[in-house]
Amino acid sequence: MASTHLIPSALRAAPVVTLALLVGWAILDVSTIGDARWTAGLSAVLGIGAAAVILSVVLRWRGIRPVGLIAIGAAYVVAHAFVLGVQLVPALVFLSVLISQVELRILAERFAPLYEAGLRPEERRRIDGALGRAVLRLSIAAALSVVVPILAANLAVAGIVPATTIPTAIGLAGALVAVVALLALMPSLSRKSV
Amino acid sequence: MRTPLSSGLAAASLGLLVAGLAFRSWQVILLALPPVIVLALGSLFPPARPRLVAVRTLSRDRAEAGQDVDVKLVVRNDGPSLDLVEIVDVLPREFAIVHGTNHAVVSLERGGTMPLSYTVRSPVKGDFRIGPVRVRSLDPLALGAEDAVLLTDARLVVAPTMEDLRRTKLQPRRTRPWFGQVSSRELGEGTDFWGVREYTAGDEVRRINWKASARLDRLFTNEYEGERSGDVVIVVDARRESFIGTETDNPIEHGVRAALGIAEHVLASKNRVGLIVQREVLDWVPPAFGRKQLYRILDHLTHVRPGGEWPFAHVAWVLTRFFPRDCLIVLISPLQDRAALNAVIAMEARGYDVAIVSPSPLAIEWRLGEQRPDDQTALRILRMERDNLISQLRRVAQVVDWDPATPLALALRRIGTWPRPT
Repeated sequence: MASTHLIPSALRAAPVVTLALLVGWAILDVSTIGDARWTAGLSAVLGIGAAAVILSVVLRWRGIRPVGLIAIGAAYVVAHAFVLGVQLVPALVFLSVLISQVELRILAERFAPLYEAGLRPEERRRIDGALGRAVLRLSIAAALSVVVPILAANLAVAGIVPATTIPTAIGLAGALVAVVALLALMPSLSRKSV
Repeated sequence: MRTPLSSGLAAASLGLLVAGLAFRSWQVILLALPPVIVLALGSLFPPARPRLVAVRTLSRDRAEAGQDVDVKLVVRNDGPSLDLVEIVDVLPREFAIVHGTNHAVVSLERGGTMPLSYTVRSPVKGDFRIGPVRVRSLDPLALGAEDAVLLTDARLVVAPTMEDLRRTKLQPRRTRPWFGQVSSRELGEGTDFWGVREYTAGDEVRRINWKASARLDRLFTNEYEGERSGDVVIVVDARRESFIGTETDNPIEHGVRAALGIAEHVLASKNRVGLIVQREVLDWVPPAFGRKQLYRILDHLTHVRPGGEWPFAHVAWVLTRFFPRDCLIVLISPLQDRAALNAVIAMEARGYDVAIVSPSPLAIEWRLGEQRPDDQTALRILRMERDNLISQLRRVAQVVDWDPATPLALALRRIGTWPRPT
């Protein structure tokens, strides 16, 4: 019976905790910048981001939620790209947590009301299964999104791929654009073939 | 269908890539990979197009407002396995779910079924349709979705609740030649003693007044007041301007409740009842007796929705053309405009007997408002205007100013027999 309240509470808390973690992390990094102008500017961006996310929940104004998340992510990336220097593993983890935050919020919005509605055992079993499957996929995606770039970086550092040359960068960029375009077009292409 | 998240991830990836190239930083370029990896994983398992069949059963297809109705929905997957499918049984906005859920997110293998059972309650009357069932096949990473609509509607008629008027004295003043329960002030078949006359051949033995006969040494027979039936026409004002308050608490909803109670009470006393409703259209039910007539009236009242701007003059025209002249007209209206006064005077002049039940819009508004001290003055002014109109109406008709928070029977009992005998 305790899990009846535990699962929806955990679902609702997860995106909030993740967001707090991201904001705290970004504030911690920004505060280590020696230059007061950079610190003030990036703190302002972080503040705007956090405020936008909170307002989107309080005022139920969903349009400004992406703005908030982009601001938080941008503050972190800019702080590291311009001042602190990019440390690959923490940056990948930060990005992965940022994506997971959005996914967790969507899961919470989708599943928490179902658990709060009072389910029969059969319905509950089916919904538990679906939630478990979604969480497993999300965990795999989060893990891979950290591990795969680290492997790629290791390959580059090992010198197997000359990553620091301009032609490699352009080639990599072209490949990425092609992959993204393919992923975007895939559903419409498969529909046409049907 | 791609979701905004997938577009956002693609945009973030491209942005980081461009930034990495601009700053000549391979680390920033690598940061473009996580969104692409999530997109790639999502695209490996795209959501299948749902091919489902739904069957819905209701515990009853007719209910009273406020009564619970159990709904059972079984969705069967006739298509490919669905990783994550969201099912919503669309309900009219008036319905409240009191138990269970009309919404589920589950995995459905090929041939698998998902039963959903829930209980709904409608606080307002109406002819509702439950459905269709909306289905969305989802990618577990929320990057894509495929929608489908299962067209399985179920009809649920919610009848208005009835005001209990059993102990109320409500009857037409003028009677017609049919037997009924209304004292006709004429000799005839009845139970109320009228007088005594000399016996004539053919009089029933049980009607002989033996005491009078013994005293006067001649046979005398008791005479009784005849009991007849009359006609009542209920006019419900459901015009747009009469809608004040919320969907459940407004003069039209309360008026419909009152109309049904009055119709039931008058029909039970063996009178004929007719109905006229002023709404988008001016519809009416000619007077008739019996249970069937009550169902006919109930059916018309169930479909009453605020709307239209029919003036009372049109009601008067319908009355003169399609309804008997010596009937009692029970007008149920919040009396929002002064045109009601002229209309009632005109009806009275044409020989109709008019009685008015007025669900007070002021009482409703006051109850729903914040009841600040500043509003007291406004309420007093509005109440004076309303009292003025009602006192003018009382010269030609009997008016019941009814606060719908109290039972109608109470308001009617306060004034005794209604309408008052002349």
